[in-house]
Amino acid sequence: MPLLELRNVTKSFTSKTARPFVVLEHITMAVDKGDFVCIVGPSGCGKSTLLRIICGLIPPSDGQVFYKGVEVKGVCDEMAMVFQSFALFPWLTVLENVEIGLYSKKISQEEKRRRALKMIEMVGLKGFEEAYPRELSGGMKQRVGLARALVSEPTVLLMDEPFSSLDPLTATHLREELVDFWSNPNLAPDTVIMVTHSVEEAVYLANRVIVLSHRPGTIIKEVPVDLPRPRDPRSDKLYALVDQITSLIA
Amino acid sequence: MEPIPRTHLSIVAGLLEILEDYQGKVDAAKIADELMLELDDMLPAIEAAEMLGFIKVDSGDLILTDKGKEYLAGNSTQRKKILNQTLSRTSLFKWLIEQLKNRGDAMSKEELIALLEEKMPDVDAAKLVKWIIEWGRHALILRYDSNSQTIRLGDLA
Repeated sequence: MPLLELRNVTKSFTSKTARPFVVLEHITMAVDKGDFVCIVGPSGCGKSTLLRIICGLIPPSDGQVFYKGVEVKGVCDEMAMVFQSFALFPWLTVLENVEIGLYSKKISQEEKRRRALKMIEMVGLKGFEEAYPRELSGGMKQRVGLARALVSEPTVLLMDEPFSSLDPLTATHLREELVDFWSNPNLAPDTVIMVTHSVEEAVYLANRVIVLSHRPGTIIKEVPVDLPRPRDPRSDKLYALVDQITSLIA
Repeated sequence: MEPIPRTHLSIVAGLLEILEDYQGKVDAAKIADELMLELDDMLPAIEAAEMLGFIKVDSGDLILTDKGKEYLAGNSTQRKKILNQTLSRTSLFKWLIEQLKNRGDAMSKEELIALLEEKMPDVDAAKLVKWIIEWGRHALILRYDSNSQTIRLGDLA
């Protein structure tokens, strides 16, 4: 049984005056434990909507999502999300922002603090516990976003364009750190599903790249990436895959 | 007083990652080209990495040093230790640690700006303090509470 399964998922938005607006159509895919899946496609193809449906933030109009064989209805707390815009609370400190990730856990406040401090240390933010988001660089804000997502030790980490608002050097560094977390069997997450508009980034990170079409988004192709790790982002084999996928989108 | 880095740490770390991809040596212009950056945009990161001893610059080539390799290989605790040892030795942080100790471990941000304006009249002290706080926090030399605008000694000061 796959960890996560989408069966014929369709999402459309309707209003009384306009025709239904179909964003995603007939999405059927499966994700196994340990997968690193990247979803690419032209802008507006419903990539972000798909992530939100997977974690139960919004329901599909048709079709089903199954997590460990059970249909997802409402927010699934074994998944956590990292957003492009960081989505931090500006009036909370780094420590408080990370503790929010444990909001729904039935553990004591002391235990929440202990886990949040440990996570802050692991993402390299020790020393910034009492800082507010406004005092942080973009890269550090995204580390807080990552810490908040990982502090609940989710099985699946969902990432919506997590590096696209960062400068290229910071993005390079954070990609490496993400691979370190994912590839370490002792640390969450086991499984990552990331939306990105960068085909290079997708091929560099993923075991499998899912290519979506223009709206309404349908799966054009699933491209396995069998390159050994650590990967050379400048290798010919990697670029050949990037070319292949780019030609599908363009 | 010698300078301290004036760019963000993750930018410096990204530069080191790329150098590692190139087996530790590459032309700076080539990286800039690849990232679609102007070389000027990369200069603060290059200067910071050189100042920290993570790279050497040799006629346009950037060369990863053993210390840079050690930094990349370390976990977050080891990395902070390297930063701490390096930055604690700079004259600016040495001076600041001494000032804080003399004041019983607390100083307002305004006070530090005033002290620096006196000591380094050619420098934009407010900007410098921003970088001092950022790097001081990274290296666990300083703590800073922005509500009370108070700077204190950190865990590893």
